[in-house]
Amino acid sequence: MTTMDFEKELREFPAGRSGDESMLDPMLAEGRRRLSRALKRVARPQARVGEIDTPLGPLFVAESERGIVAVRFIDGADFDRELDALRARFDLAENRAAANKIGDEIRRHLAGDNSALAHRIDLSLVPSEFQRRTLRALLRIPRGSVTTYRALAEAVGAPDAQRAVGNTMASNPVPIYVPCHRVIRSDGSLGNYGGGVERKLVLLRAEGFRVGEALKLAKEVVLGHRETGIFCRPGCPAARRAKPGKTLIVADSSLARGMGMRPCRVCRPLQ
Amino acid sequence: MASRPPEIKIPVPFEEALRRHEREIMRFLLRTTRDREDALDLFQETWLRAYRAYPRLDPDSSLRPWLFRIASNLCRNRLRELVRRGRVFADGDCPDREPRRDADGGGTAEFDLRRAIAALPARQGQAFAMRKFVGLEYREIAEALGCSEESARANVYQAVKKLKSLR
Repeated sequence: MTTMDFEKELREFPAGRSGDESMLDPMLAEGRRRLSRALKRVARPQARVGEIDTPLGPLFVAESERGIVAVRFIDGADFDRELDALRARFDLAENRAAANKIGDEIRRHLAGDNSALAHRIDLSLVPSEFQRRTLRALLRIPRGSVTTYRALAEAVGAPDAQRAVGNTMASNPVPIYVPCHRVIRSDGSLGNYGGGVERKLVLLRAEGFRVGEALKLAKEVVLGHRETGIFCRPGCPAARRAKPGKTLIVADSSLARGMGMRPCRVCRPLQ
Repeated sequence: MASRPPEIKIPVPFEEALRRHEREIMRFLLRTTRDREDALDLFQETWLRAYRAYPRLDPDSSLRPWLFRIASNLCRNRLRELVRRGRVFADGDCPDREPRRDADGGGTAEFDLRRAIAALPARQGQAFAMRKFVGLEYREIAEALGCSEESARANVYQAVKKLKSLR
């Protein structure tokens, strides 16, 4: 037998005679059926992902069936690690339309639309219950107001855990939507931000805050009490008595009134 | 704000990888194991392993050789298991060197080629199957078997040489 005969036989083997090739279709059907049954036991949830351009720079966003699961600054130092963590938990599928919807919301939010951030949030990438509780507490800090690490720690019932609160902010997987930019230091300075202080500044300014050269909030901020609905000047003795966890730092008195608060009769913040 | 970073690389969705490569993986498994049930078992195992490891796959690396690497490792493990149980001949123990003839005494029957391939050393058999039955490039075979391209080429060459010598 010549080399050419041998090559021909190889090409035909074994399709020509035993029909292996024709066996493939029914085998694939059976293989797929078995595999899909087996995959059901180990399947990861799906997440639609995409890259978007925003005034804050390019962002990578991921959305699960339950809501936005990740918003990442692509130029961040830990971006690769964050992407790996996301891939370990979800099956990623690129979906530009879904990503663009999130991009639109962020752009509208930065342009001043109070109700732009309408997507639900999925905190399944957050590893501990304390961190989830802290991030959920953050969702109660409305646009136009900020809180401090200390006040947030107190609000979640762990007044000594300011550092843990800081770490939770640093690892927040859904910045902008979970507004970790609304947490500042007790001395009124901005503190850090995962995407860089420059971005924190952009976000706070878009929400109505004036921030001075020293990266400190301007003097016109007022302190609003969540339960009494009264807002005061920062030096008011009534405000000093309030627990930090119950107090919001609001950009100015008009925003405080917009939140349904009334001015304090002791310090008269409107005069 | 910041300079634009390089494009993010996300591997193709697993479903897409499955759709693209399931047929050639099944063909490779069927022709390597020569047993329908074994091939179906290994098909499921190959894709389950691939699914579990998929998040760790470097999006820059080639998917096809990676899948064949999983499949060929599973084939090798299955062969070892069968050898241990005495169901098949070990590598190099050729079952019959006398070529079988068709009833009319004509050309060599297909069964001989099948058994001859079965008798090849595992690595040669796998390299041969990837090359001749699936059409992988030597570079891909090398990646799948974790060897150099020269070694992949040599394995296929040796396999073909052995098969020809048995005719």
